[in-house]
Amino acid sequence: MIRWILLGLAFAAIPFLPPFYLTLLNFMAISAVVALGLYLLTGLAGMSSFGQAAFMGLAAYTTAIATTRWEWSPWTSLIVALALCGLAAVVLGSVTVRLKGHYLPLATIAWQMALSILMGNLVSVTGGHGGISEIPALRLGPLSLRDPREYGFLTLGCAVLLALACAQLASSRMGRALRAARGDGVVAASFGVNLPLIRLQVFVLAALYAGLAGWLHAHFLRFVNPQPFGLEASMRYVIMAVAGGVDRIGGVFLGTGLLTLLGSWLQDILPVLFGRTAQYEVIAYGLILAGILLLAPRGLWPFLEAYLPRHRPPLISGHTLPAPPTPIPRSEVLLEVRNLTKNFGGLVAVNGISFAVHRGEVVGLIGPNGAGKTTCFNLITGLYPPTRGEIRFAGHLISGRPPFFIHPLGIARTFQQPHLFGEMTVLENVALGTYSRTRSGMLACLVGWDKLRGEEQAALAEAYRALERVGLAHLAHEKAGKLPLAQQRLLEIARALASSPQLLLLDEPAAGLRAREKQELAQLLRRLAEGGTSILIVDHDMDLIMGLVDRVVVMHYGEKLAEGAPEGVQRNPRVLEAYLGLPVEVAG
Amino acid sequence: MDATILGLLIADGITSGVIYGLLAITLVLVFTVTRVLFVPMGELLMYAPLTYALLVDHKLPGSLWLGAAFLVAWGVLDLLGGARRAGLFPFAGAAVLVGFGTWAASTGSPALAWLLAVGVVVLMGISTYRLFFEPIPHASVLTYLILSLGLHFVLQGLGLVFFGPEQYRIAPLLPGEAQLGPVPLPRQNFAVYGLALVWVLALYGFFSRSLYGKALLACAINRRGARLTGIRIRDAGRVAFTLASLICALGGMLLAPLTNAAYFMGFIPSLKGFVAAVLGGLVSYPLAAVGAILVGTLEAFSAFYASAYKEAIVFALLLPILFVQSLRTLEIGGVEE
Amino acid sequence: MRRWMVLGLAACVVLAGLLGVGYAQAPRVIRIGVVVSATGPAAALGIPVRNAFLLYEELFRDAIPGYRIQYIILDDATNPTLAVQNARKLIAEDRVVLIAGSTVSVSALAMVDVTGEAGVPQMAMGATQNIVHPVDEKRRWVFLLPQTAASAIQAVTLDMRLRGIRTVGYIGFNDVWGEEWWTSLSAAAPNLGIRVVANERYARADTSVTGQVLRLLAARPDAVLVGASGTPAVLPQRTLRERGYRGIIYHTHAIGDPDVLRVGGKDLEGALLPVGPVVVAEQLPDNHPSKRPALEHKRIYESRYGPGSVSQFGAHVHDFWLIVRPALERALRRASLDNLPAFRAALRDEIEATRNLPGAHGVFTYSPIDHLGHRFEYSNVFVQVQGGRLKLLRTFLPRQ
Repeated sequence: MIRWILLGLAFAAIPFLPPFYLTLLNFMAISAVVALGLYLLTGLAGMSSFGQAAFMGLAAYTTAIATTRWEWSPWTSLIVALALCGLAAVVLGSVTVRLKGHYLPLATIAWQMALSILMGNLVSVTGGHGGISEIPALRLGPLSLRDPREYGFLTLGCAVLLALACAQLASSRMGRALRAARGDGVVAASFGVNLPLIRLQVFVLAALYAGLAGWLHAHFLRFVNPQPFGLEASMRYVIMAVAGGVDRIGGVFLGTGLLTLLGSWLQDILPVLFGRTAQYEVIAYGLILAGILLLAPRGLWPFLEAYLPRHRPPLISGHTLPAPPTPIPRSEVLLEVRNLTKNFGGLVAVNGISFAVHRGEVVGLIGPNGAGKTTCFNLITGLYPPTRGEIRFAGHLISGRPPFFIHPLGIARTFQQPHLFGEMTVLENVALGTYSRTRSGMLACLVGWDKLRGEEQAALAEAYRALERVGLAHLAHEKAGKLPLAQQRLLEIARALASSPQLLLLDEPAAGLRAREKQELAQLLRRLAEGGTSILIVDHDMDLIMGLVDRVVVMHYGEKLAEGAPEGVQRNPRVLEAYLGLPVEVAG
Repeated sequence: MDATILGLLIADGITSGVIYGLLAITLVLVFTVTRVLFVPMGELLMYAPLTYALLVDHKLPGSLWLGAAFLVAWGVLDLLGGARRAGLFPFAGAAVLVGFGTWAASTGSPALAWLLAVGVVVLMGISTYRLFFEPIPHASVLTYLILSLGLHFVLQGLGLVFFGPEQYRIAPLLPGEAQLGPVPLPRQNFAVYGLALVWVLALYGFFSRSLYGKALLACAINRRGARLTGIRIRDAGRVAFTLASLICALGGMLLAPLTNAAYFMGFIPSLKGFVAAVLGGLVSYPLAAVGAILVGTLEAFSAFYASAYKEAIVFALLLPILFVQSLRTLEIGGVEE
Repeated sequence: MRRWMVLGLAACVVLAGLLGVGYAQAPRVIRIGVVVSATGPAAALGIPVRNAFLLYEELFRDAIPGYRIQYIILDDATNPTLAVQNARKLIAEDRVVLIAGSTVSVSALAMVDVTGEAGVPQMAMGATQNIVHPVDEKRRWVFLLPQTAASAIQAVTLDMRLRGIRTVGYIGFNDVWGEEWWTSLSAAAPNLGIRVVANERYARADTSVTGQVLRLLAARPDAVLVGASGTPAVLPQRTLRERGYRGIIYHTHAIGDPDVLRVGGKDLEGALLPVGPVVVAEQLPDNHPSKRPALEHKRIYESRYGPGSVSQFGAHVHDFWLIVRPALERALRRASLDNLPAFRAALRDEIEATRNLPGAHGVFTYSPIDHLGHRFEYSNVFVQVQGGRLKLLRTFLPRQ
């Protein structure tokens, strides 16, 4: 509620601002639009880009050329400019987003520099370094948007609308997927997120934001030249976003506003303090920036956030998601692993293992450390392809397919080390599990269509139900990073449950738990099995395993050592030798 | 395109490549130990010869005052943090810097100026680490990068204030030219090549063979693990920055006679050095050096065929190379934070 | 009791009256805005201008009785967007009567929109014609101070014709300056039957131009024009000579400053370039109209910054003051500072009324259709670098 009031005040104040501050307001709003794109790209998805100004330039030059040379309407050229930006983003993005680590920002610098130089040198197209002037002002029917006052409504309006869109996206399934893709691509992929695709999508989105900013810039200054779209400009936008706090929408607004005002303020005050015989503005700017980051490495916004009213957690409504379709009737082979082999260079991790999990079964996969159990899991869930052999799930061949293909078929897993996203709440973490059961795409989430449709609420309700099943519902709105180990493991199970899987792969869920916690875990798993979920569980706690499973598969050095009912396997001399290293006389 | 032109272009490419390579190895050095992408390395490259130029001209350069100011700030932070005797060293250092500098300026002696120029850059490098990066050891790579950008603005802005907008000319250590086949090369080039080669081999050996070097690497890979095995992170960072500044200062002093020195000439080469470093995966010195030669040669040939677009070509050709390199490591894993 | 109160009140009234009179006699401030590129790539050009403005403010602060001249100097960091922002600030917040700037042509051009719309006269210091031409609704407010590259290039092409040069190669900065000189050269050369055979570019911070020079040499031009400025302009000439080029080398006027000549040393020997008359003030013939103002500026500038420090860019400020001071005085008679829009309009009219005013860089005449102000004959001389100094080769004064 307060936000809307503040917003209204901001707009109402525009006509009363002195003229120079109106100019600054426009520059701030345009920078904010770019910075919002960076919020999506860097804050949500974790990709650094030093090339946003190049996209601005692309759009700015498009509209400049179209409106001056071909006398198009600026509104038409906006569409063309955005389309061009989008196209360029798809092309550049397909190369760039696949890059890992430091290659990514370097690639953005690369095409930023290349585009800047092209802008300056294709004289017949872009007017070269001298640029293009006499760009017409915008007209909205009878209204002319020439004056900074009138233009301020447009730019501020755009910034606010786009911020709302960002907020919608951030609190949707796509936002969760992007955050997941950032911290830990493995988890995201394991829950159905098509990493390259959504990374490309958010990259294009950020480029479109920058394109809009470029168009606004061109029709505000009515002049374009290569300089505002060069590497230094890109750097300054990243600086604004990071100084304010790139992982919050409020942060990017704060950073943009503060640093724009800072520039003007330094101009006024430094000559008074240090004289006019040298320019100290950029030096002071750098020092202040360094100071901000030293005191607030995550940006300034967290300081302000403490004073704002707390974000109310979403209301969980009753309806949950529709159940996913059941592909095959009961008591058939659900998972079949045949002759599975995986080599890592010279190391043979899994060597020709075969086993099956039937519908409604609980199968234990045990073996000493290094036997290849987690590798098996990774092969089944598609993290890497097998060297030989095949895996079938419900009759489909899944070996060699990527995780985001396999998961929606009905396999969900937990990890040996809990892979949670500490900054997100418990509920949001679990909601990631519903990703494959929901459909709203990037665009739909931007405009809030997923909430209008009720899909988002249903997903959260589903996640809440999963939390209830594991007994963590009371912690739904806590930050996941605060949870102790036992609850983190339960959280992982809840996340897997939220995807309503037919087969649950649990990787050492009891490791590090105390006796009482293990008992509760065992009860939970038994309930799940009784409810019809098939489980393939890896663990070292024999009591837990033997008391829970229908069948045990024993692995050793990547091969299947034994298989059968728990009691038989426990007495198997080869199994005992593998675990204990000595032949043991078994009494009875 | 005859043999002479080919030879000249290749020689030109190698010389440029060596410049970028020196910057590349310093960037790799600092990054592998501290995870800081130290953008102001280019400014430091220029500060040494510029300081020298002013000193031999009997002027006291502002860079000495800046170095002293950094040292004083260091001392103050140490005292505030509780250190007692150790806290006096930075102050002493500042006094020595200014005193020594005044003496050097008054005599105008080249030898003193050389020493001081290298010394002030090394002191600036290590105190930059101490003041700006050491206090926030757990920040993200992006935060460090933005901090570096801030320092780049500071150092470049101060460079204009201290040294003015024009270039300075420095007398070469090895005057004259030598003939390499059809290609005449200034003798000073060999000093630069020699230095670069020595550094690449030394760093490679240091980090891959010596225990101390491996300890430094461990700090960047896993801080907690390194501390648990008794490696002092703080010292590691300081050693890395000291070494890097030393390489930069020496390199700058040897290069300036070839290229002239100005406050603005450091940034773009450091960018290209960064390109070369990434081509080496930001971990390997020999690969970074090779990458740098590649960038230099590509630039030399582009300057011949399409000089207006030479930089665009160099940067644009990076993209397919990066793409190919990223394909080599095919994992599902996510992007680094 | 009442008597003291009455006396006290009377004293207050008298005091207030005296203060009021004193207040009315305090100098009114005339604020002039200045936008220069004192940082960024064009700093070598903007810093002398800034220093000259500071000096002239100090010396001529009280030149107009009853008024105090105040300069508000803002740096635009060679960034047109910032130049526009600065212009808006100066006009709206600082309420200046006039803006000088920017020193880079793109920035000056960007500012024209702002000054034209707000009705504030602008003395642009960038060297391109399209800043002031054609004189339309917006451009009637902007006047050009320096000579344009298009004007200076005539001096170069005339020399080329005198020497019988048929082909010329070009190597210039990959920025506005380099582009401006390329455009001027390629427009002027064909008229004199000279063919331009190469167009190479390099960046200011480049450490080598081997590739570009090799390409130039392959085209075998009779002459090469280096479209650069400052000390980085030395590199192409040095490389050309090292690679054995024996032809004529021309430069732009932006190497005509003492620092460049000093750092360039032997490498610049023999370079030919056009400059404004002020650069070789002592060598000018006595009948050159710019000789007096040029020597005057030299005296003023060097008395503060030392002998040999005079810069041609700083001299534009001298011309600025020569034009603006009388214009201000005339405008003050016509309009009052209290009505700022009217005063700005009056000032604009008075600047436009400048006729045959000899300055350090030429003779200034503005008119409603000509805001360039310069005539080629008075604004350019041709010099050569000889022994580290500039030697006047010829002037272009019209024959009497």
